Amino acid sequence: MSEPIVLGIETSCDETAIGIVRGRKLLANVIASSVDEHARFGGVVPEIASRAHLEAMLPSIEKAVRDAGISLKDVDAVAVTAGPGLVGALLVGVASASGLALGLGKPLYGVNHLAAHISVDYLTHDLPTDPTIALLVSGGHSSLLQVNDITSSITKLGATMDDAAGEAFDKIARVMGLGFPGGPAIDKSAQSGSPTAIDFPRGLTTSNDWATRPYDFSFSGLKTAVARYLESTPNYAKGDVAASFQESIIDVLLQKSLAACKATGIDSLVIAGGVAANSRLRYLAEQRCESAGVRLRIPSPALCTDNGAMVAALGSLMVAAGRKPGPQAFDADSALQVERVAL
Amino acid sequence: MTISLAIDTATSRTIVGIIEGDKVLFEAFHEGATEHGFAITELVTKALEICPKPDQVVVGMGPGPFTGLRVGITFAHSFALACEIPVIGVCSLDAIDIKESEYTVAIDARRKEIYWAKYKDGLRISGPAVNKPAEVGNFIIDQYPDLKKLVALSTSQNITEPMYLRRPDAVPTAERT
Repeated sequence: MSEPIVLGIETSCDETAIGIVRGRKLLANVIASSVDEHARFGGVVPEIASRAHLEAMLPSIEKAVRDAGISLKDVDAVAVTAGPGLVGALLVGVASASGLALGLGKPLYGVNHLAAHISVDYLTHDLPTDPTIALLVSGGHSSLLQVNDITSSITKLGATMDDAAGEAFDKIARVMGLGFPGGPAIDKSAQSGSPTAIDFPRGLTTSNDWATRPYDFSFSGLKTAVARYLESTPNYAKGDVAASFQESIIDVLLQKSLAACKATGIDSLVIAGGVAANSRLRYLAEQRCESAGVRLRIPSPALCTDNGAMVAALGSLMVAAGRKPGPQAFDADSALQVERVAL
Repeated sequence: MTISLAIDTATSRTIVGIIEGDKVLFEAFHEGATEHGFAITELVTKALEICPKPDQVVVGMGPGPFTGLRVGITFAHSFALACEIPVIGVCSLDAIDIKESEYTVAIDARRKEIYWAKYKDGLRISGPAVNKPAEVGNFIIDQYPDLKKLVALSTSQNITEPMYLRRPDAVPTAERT
């Protein structure tokens, strides 16, 4: 028997994304983004995102099916992001997936966006991802997780106490006039600067923090420090600020990830989410993991940001693991906890 | 006779039916302004268990509160795609069945406003629009789209865009004060 074909739908933020996999092979990955429509608002506007999802949904499904060279009827299961994310945006994906699954007479898996981000690594690397420590960093999330079994058991070790890492990138890019989204803009600007030019604070890294909340993050102090620096330094060098700010975030992310590996005895780290596309993070992670003897996996940049392939990948892993689909009728859960891998 | 799966989510209700000609083979609704997501799947599943497979989908395109409205439209289009059957969009206000020669019907638009349209001798003569109730005068509210009428209208309408009537609330960074 050939491996099952799973179609995945992701609409938790501003990307309408459809992925199709056969087993662990990626057949199609279609992403329609409304990011340009949000740029002039300096952030994602939920209602604009939801309208764009509705418009893009059918054409994206049809394109994915064409790209995969299959017929919709060949799909064996549908998977969809049930949460967390913007509720109005999630609902478009859930309604579409429900309609597809019911129309095809195939099972529907409502899965967790964060778990899907981690599971996409299965499409690029051979070895099983679990058990592993996972650092999930994006515009909406910054969490450090222990993945015991990607289809059923994830424990949260820590998370950001204020802004998500990607959100900090967006905000600093905005005050520096670098545009939205901030991640790629800062990454680019940082190429011309020095990461050690300005000594910005590392959040939650005092000895007391290491003792009480070793795996939590905080980026609001850094944000304030950068804003103060910009105010007091009229002719600041953009590249230096971008590089030093970026270094501060990445340094903390990696310090805490490797500390988690050490404390749990798990010598594997997966870094996923939109911020994992950052070139400096990828470079430093490779260096530090190598010297710590930790096996590092980071999905290709295109699979780090929100996409449908990751949802299809997690669905496919659930099918392969023999996990029964959850309820076929469900509402999106904007605050779905990472411990719930699937509904 | 064409068998239609009829769906409307323009109001606080998720309404689902299977209509064949002027016969209602199945009709059910779920009350809950934030529960369209699971209600639609639950109701359509029930309908398909006892009815023959539909030949087309007819869906209310609003106007109505955005989030619920989109659930019905997206579901309808995706279901139709999977079944390889057509989908036809109809104005939800038009499907509210009032036995009078002249009337105005309304759907709660929240924020102290209503979506409304005015009819005379079976024709829409004003609206659909969104206004404060005082600006509209007499109107009938708390009535819901009738699926038989929704399907009947599908021979003369095919609305492809959701009837939002309102723009998203958002102010561009450059215009903020």
